[in-house]
Amino acid sequence: MSSVTINKLDKTYSPGKRDAFRAVKGIDLEIKDKEFMVLVGPSGCGKSTTLRMIAGLEEITGGTLKIGDRIVNDVAPKSRGIAMVFQNYALYPHMTVFDNMAFGLKLQRMPREEIKRRVDNAADILGLETMLDRKPKALSGGQRQRVAVGRAIVRQPEVFLFDEPLSNLDAKMRVQMRTEISKLHGRLDATMIYVTHDQVEAMTMGDRICVMKDGNIMQVDGPLNLYNKPQNMFVAGFIGSPPMNFFKGTIVKDGTGTSFLEESASGPGFSLKLDDRLIAASEKGSSQSVYLGVRPEDIEGASISDSAEIEAVIDVAEPMGAETFLYLKTPGGHDFIAKVQATHSFKLGERIHVRFDLARCHLFDSKTENVL
Amino acid sequence: MAEKTNKFAEGVKIGYIGFILFFAFIPLFIMVVVSFKSNDQFLQNPWFFDNPSTWKWENWGVAWDTVSGYIANSIFVSFTGTVVTLVIVLMCSYAIARFDFPGKNVIFYLVMATMFLPGTVAALVTLFDLLMNMGLVNSLWALVLMASVGGQVAGVFILRNFIEDIPKELFESTQIDGGGHYAQIRHIVLPLSGSIIAVTCIMDFLSSWNNVILPLLLLRDDELLTIPVGLFRLDGEYVKQYGELMAGYAISSIPLLIIFLFSMRFFVKGLAAGAVKG
Repeated sequence: MSSVTINKLDKTYSPGKRDAFRAVKGIDLEIKDKEFMVLVGPSGCGKSTTLRMIAGLEEITGGTLKIGDRIVNDVAPKSRGIAMVFQNYALYPHMTVFDNMAFGLKLQRMPREEIKRRVDNAADILGLETMLDRKPKALSGGQRQRVAVGRAIVRQPEVFLFDEPLSNLDAKMRVQMRTEISKLHGRLDATMIYVTHDQVEAMTMGDRICVMKDGNIMQVDGPLNLYNKPQNMFVAGFIGSPPMNFFKGTIVKDGTGTSFLEESASGPGFSLKLDDRLIAASEKGSSQSVYLGVRPEDIEGASISDSAEIEAVIDVAEPMGAETFLYLKTPGGHDFIAKVQATHSFKLGERIHVRFDLARCHLFDSKTENVL
Repeated sequence: MAEKTNKFAEGVKIGYIGFILFFAFIPLFIMVVVSFKSNDQFLQNPWFFDNPSTWKWENWGVAWDTVSGYIANSIFVSFTGTVVTLVIVLMCSYAIARFDFPGKNVIFYLVMATMFLPGTVAALVTLFDLLMNMGLVNSLWALVLMASVGGQVAGVFILRNFIEDIPKELFESTQIDGGGHYAQIRHIVLPLSGSIIAVTCIMDFLSSWNNVILPLLLLRDDELLTIPVGLFRLDGEYVKQYGELMAGYAISSIPLLIIFLFSMRFFVKGLAAGAVKG
């Protein structure tokens, strides 16, 4: 087992040409031994490219990649000690489950008994014992993906690479496989790098999560830190569902204290008194112009007498059972979402008052979009 | 299907198929019929069998004696040519489908363009000149060479598209498992495109088996002739012995029938695969 160290890793497609495209822009990332690292981000953020460079399927155009203590930039995929699980399983349709799992070992000319031992062991871990003689066609999506994982396990790699392995599965299967892969990580005690665009997968599976955007790393941290202490607006908006609400506005100081004044679009913006933590933060900004970020779950219904209350009109109410998502509009004309207890039913167009949990609000610089 | 079938439309369809099959098979039928007739019998009634007691079995004996010596030549030329073609087709379409290299499209279009060039007959003189300079006149290798360089184009065209449709993750996962290009062709391309390859092979085999003009032009020694040319030996100088000729044709098509029977499964699957692969 071993660590993966990425140093100034860079990938440019067709360099020097008119259609040159820089997919990964000199990223640094240290993945520790036995860590479950999730690379997450929207389509085209470079996460899959990064993974494919680690696998050796894409040429590295800059920087170094180390697996363990060895620089593997120019090492062939088979000698890197990795195994990869693909989104579409990549099973050989003409081979049985056993042969699919044994294929890589056969290519390595491993003795027959050893192959059988390893495949049986993997089948045992994944619950595939009864399916070894079947062809992939006769398996469900979840079973196919399990075979694909099995094919990785038998190679006993130092690093497992997963490229959106659950994206082809239906929602229920995805949740089940998610826990299975997490369990597998505990059981195999291997380094795993997992690419997904699904922030729920990222949050639930990763020891640490690396959020990427446009070929850059936005933040690397544990799931809870990403959620509670996002470094920038992108991470804040990407992690969490429904996403964090952002209000553009300015910091205003007057006799009664410092407050946030929402920029108005159609009506007068709301004003919110800041607490000491947010005042301290607001002073770090380069200008008075900031974004206020508040998660839907940190908004609650309030009575009119509450001093921190904000008036809003209900556009849409989505009862989810345990809670209700309210799509609201401020008097200033901005939309936001609140996640409230489903204690009573809400009427469309109803005027309600909500309160933001100031301790959990964030201020972001309007220029750099970094947290203050 | 619950859909009601229109009896009339069905009838037209079957009638049409029957019409085509009739004209496809009638020459074969007449070939067999005539192979049992003497010239007199042939002139009296070329369309159907006579009384079995008057059948001229000797025709087949004569035809066999004439053709048997050439079968090995034909098999050698067609088989070797097909194998070489297959190897070239596989490597060429794999390279074009899987690699990006400068000029790839130009090369591919050039290969395709040769499909539109005039065939053997139009290039006969230059071809003969070329083969003569290579010292291949009166050699079976000339035919092997010609069989190996003609058939790829259609094969490359079909197989390239087929390989491009194979998910690239299959190749990549083999790569990670340590398989090189040979392993990727052997374990992915061959099994997955077996039917397409079989069809390409059969087409190729057929065309060199039936080739008359080149062997006629290039081969001098009697023991080198292939079957189609050898059959001319039955074409007597003054009198055409139709019965013997037809028996010879029948014998020469038997190997093809055998190949077809064994590969029918691939044939049907392959033609369909090329058409509706989705």
